[in-house]
Amino acid sequence: MPYDLDLLDEPAWRDLVERFGYRMWAVARAFGLDSTDAADAVQAAWLRLVESLHTIRDPERVGAWLITTTRHEAARIHRSRSGAPLAALPAEIPAPDGDPVAAMLTEEDGRRLWAAVDTLREPCRSLLRLIVCAPDAGYAQLARRLDMPIGSIGPTRGRCLRRLRSLIEEDR
Amino acid sequence: MTDDEYVLAALRIAAGADPVPARVSTDARAVYGLRLPGALTAGPVGVPSGVQQPSGLQQPSGVRPPSGVRSGGRPADGEPRLLRFAAGGVTIDVEITICDSHIDLAGQVQPAPGKGARVEIRTPHVSKIRFPSETGEFATTGLPHGWLSVVCHRPGNPPIATRWQCVRL
Repeated sequence: MPYDLDLLDEPAWRDLVERFGYRMWAVARAFGLDSTDAADAVQAAWLRLVESLHTIRDPERVGAWLITTTRHEAARIHRSRSGAPLAALPAEIPAPDGDPVAAMLTEEDGRRLWAAVDTLREPCRSLLRLIVCAPDAGYAQLARRLDMPIGSIGPTRGRCLRRLRSLIEEDR
Repeated sequence: MTDDEYVLAALRIAAGADPVPARVSTDARAVYGLRLPGALTAGPVGVPSGVQQPSGLQQPSGVRPPSGVRSGGRPADGEPRLLRFAAGGVTIDVEITICDSHIDLAGQVQPAPGKGARVEIRTPHVSKIRFPSETGEFATTGLPHGWLSVVCHRPGNPPIATRWQCVRL
């Protein structure tokens, strides 16, 4: 549904929150941000939208713009939490054209990914389910739940995700 | 964000796992009320070294250094953070001091906006009005940690609003 931003009224805004709020949250959390930082990344995107309403030329891309902006803000917070120097606030929000996150985060992608997870062998299937459904679980907790050595969680996670991505690519 | 993280984000969305906290959605809806139609948005600009900071705020004793203004510049341990914004030929300097329980803020609009101007210091839930001095200085104390923006309302001209900044310990 296209949005006429000059006439973006409160119901239309609430509709945007309803449609994109979860995807924005998931993008922020995928950076490993805790809930306070993820909330800041999401709120940043909404505030940037309010600041930038007059500059958005293509109302149909507002959703992609919100997700791109959340990703940029989450990346900045993530870098600052990692001890890197604080990045300066970008003067302009980059255009969302071709943003792979926005392109990927569709319901259809999610369904295909879960179907692929179900075809993985153990421990991949259980590990990925736990990582997704218990995003705050640390490696120690995952190791206990899966009865695996803690040192193998990281390498196994990487191997399982690579396997999952290759299944999806074969499927394309 | 790596390919792995894209995959995990897509899985989370499809699973409906990790629901959005109610507060996050409430705050997102409330942002609509923060629109300022016709306002100029003042983006951050570099602060030249040696700039004199606004004198409007008396520094309370025992304040903590501002270690966490995420949205600009490097930490300046022991010193309040000075941020500068500019738009439409107007510069707004904002000096932020982060205390344990609140934020103190002093600033200056240059050139001084003149008679009838108001400076509005906004957070998503609280707004404070100050009438700048003849030299354009203003100050307030006791703001909550989190998002803030300073707006200069000028008679006969569009308001100038700084970009929102997230200020936390």
